[in-house]
Amino acid sequence: MKPKLQQTDLIIVGAGPAGLSAATAAADNGLSVTVIDEFPEPGGRMLGQFHEEQGHWWVGKRIADELIEKNRAQGVSIRCGVSVYGMLKVDQLWEVSTSHGTWTAPRVLLATGAAEIPMPTCGWTLPGVMSIGAAQVMTNVHYVKPGKRGLIIGVNVLAMAIARELSVSGVMLAGIVLPPGGPLAGKAALPRNNLQVLMGLSHLAPSPILRFGGKIAYALGMAGIVSSLFPRRGIKLWDIPLKLRTAAVSINGTDRVESVTLADVNAKGEIIAGSEREEAVDFVALAGGLYPLAELASVAGCPFIYTPELGGHLPLHSERMQTPVEGLYVAGNITGVESALVAMAQGQLAAASICSDAGVLGEDGDRKVVEAIGEVQRVRASALIQFHPGIPEARRKIYRMWQQTYEAGV
Amino acid sequence: MKPSSLIICRCEEVTIEQLEQAYQTGSCTSRQLKMKTRASMGACQGRVCRQLVDAWVHDKDPDSPHDAELLSYRPPIRPITFGQLAKGEL
Repeated sequence: MKPKLQQTDLIIVGAGPAGLSAATAAADNGLSVTVIDEFPEPGGRMLGQFHEEQGHWWVGKRIADELIEKNRAQGVSIRCGVSVYGMLKVDQLWEVSTSHGTWTAPRVLLATGAAEIPMPTCGWTLPGVMSIGAAQVMTNVHYVKPGKRGLIIGVNVLAMAIARELSVSGVMLAGIVLPPGGPLAGKAALPRNNLQVLMGLSHLAPSPILRFGGKIAYALGMAGIVSSLFPRRGIKLWDIPLKLRTAAVSINGTDRVESVTLADVNAKGEIIAGSEREEAVDFVALAGGLYPLAELASVAGCPFIYTPELGGHLPLHSERMQTPVEGLYVAGNITGVESALVAMAQGQLAAASICSDAGVLGEDGDRKVVEAIGEVQRVRASALIQFHPGIPEARRKIYRMWQQTYEAGV
Repeated sequence: MKPSSLIICRCEEVTIEQLEQAYQTGSCTSRQLKMKTRASMGACQGRVCRQLVDAWVHDKDPDSPHDAELLSYRPPIRPITFGQLAKGEL
């Protein structure tokens, strides 16, 4: 018996900021759209995100609710708790295989977002150790405290943003410390490198010392000097001790996390012998950063490029969010790790591109795509949370590569 | 706990020590290490550890290429039951 195929004009994988924005924009132009997500509810990582911005709170859940409402009103089908495990093109149609049957459509938009990189530390498989994103989902989505008192291992944009959220939610944090040095941590274990990360964040810093220090150090290129002057006891970021000269040596416990062994490190990230001590905590959040989650692009046959500024391997795509594979588009963090606002603008751009290629925009197609490209650039330039200072240049490089490869002679 | 007994692939419980042994006996790319040790071949299909395996190889050999093909993806990319698979294929 041939299974019933559920056919639609556009399948979007991922119900986060990019996927939901694309869905509403595409439905607005008359396409029938199905959005598929493996999480039980739509919204993606916006569900757990909030931060203070120019005196008011940006609350991701509210933005997500508005987008979901818009989609429902337009008749977009949002299917949650459904996992896509493969996709294949048969006779000009994509067959998207899921845990709940097969959908088909001439066009597929991958808006699968990013995944976390763990920060392995001795004892990281003990219950009570989780990724920083898991701590965020537990606290802000499920309203369950991950523990009574925790420690964050790893200093990066994501760790700082989520540390702030945890603290606002009443979760006590013993501090943010460096990972142990070694082949897996690389530069993340170096105090100097972490100070550079913080310089990129100095405009966000609540502490005038850090803000001032970040700017001065940046202007003078003094990361090395400043990191050796950074106080051993750390400084308070909001109410969380940020310790750039302290590293986690091991996570300890019998059946679950009971403590973390901490030690002082020198400027090269090496442990200073005799400085080891135990910090009692009952949960540990590992923050190793994000990488674009692009498994489906690979399965669909899309070529990849390596762009460290955007999080590593990502599917090759044009500024219009097309991939070299016909009928396959990408938007959001799968194209490089940036903030939710950029992802939303990219979703609208992908929808403009898809509608233009589908011929439903008539003569306006090109103009609408160009406008949407301008909007992505505008949002990117004004984004408060910059994951990497080199993003605009890295993007230009990808689009140049695309033009040279796929638009030569056109 | 010795750093060498640190688990890198949780699904298949592969340690740094096992990667090191495989490397010493000629498995030099992330793909070869995967074939030899099963690191990134478990239930999560490398979603957790593939970045770590790559980072480990690059620490060993900073000149090795960043090639996405070395750790490729194949369907099914999520754990599914035979029943779910059969419904799609019959």
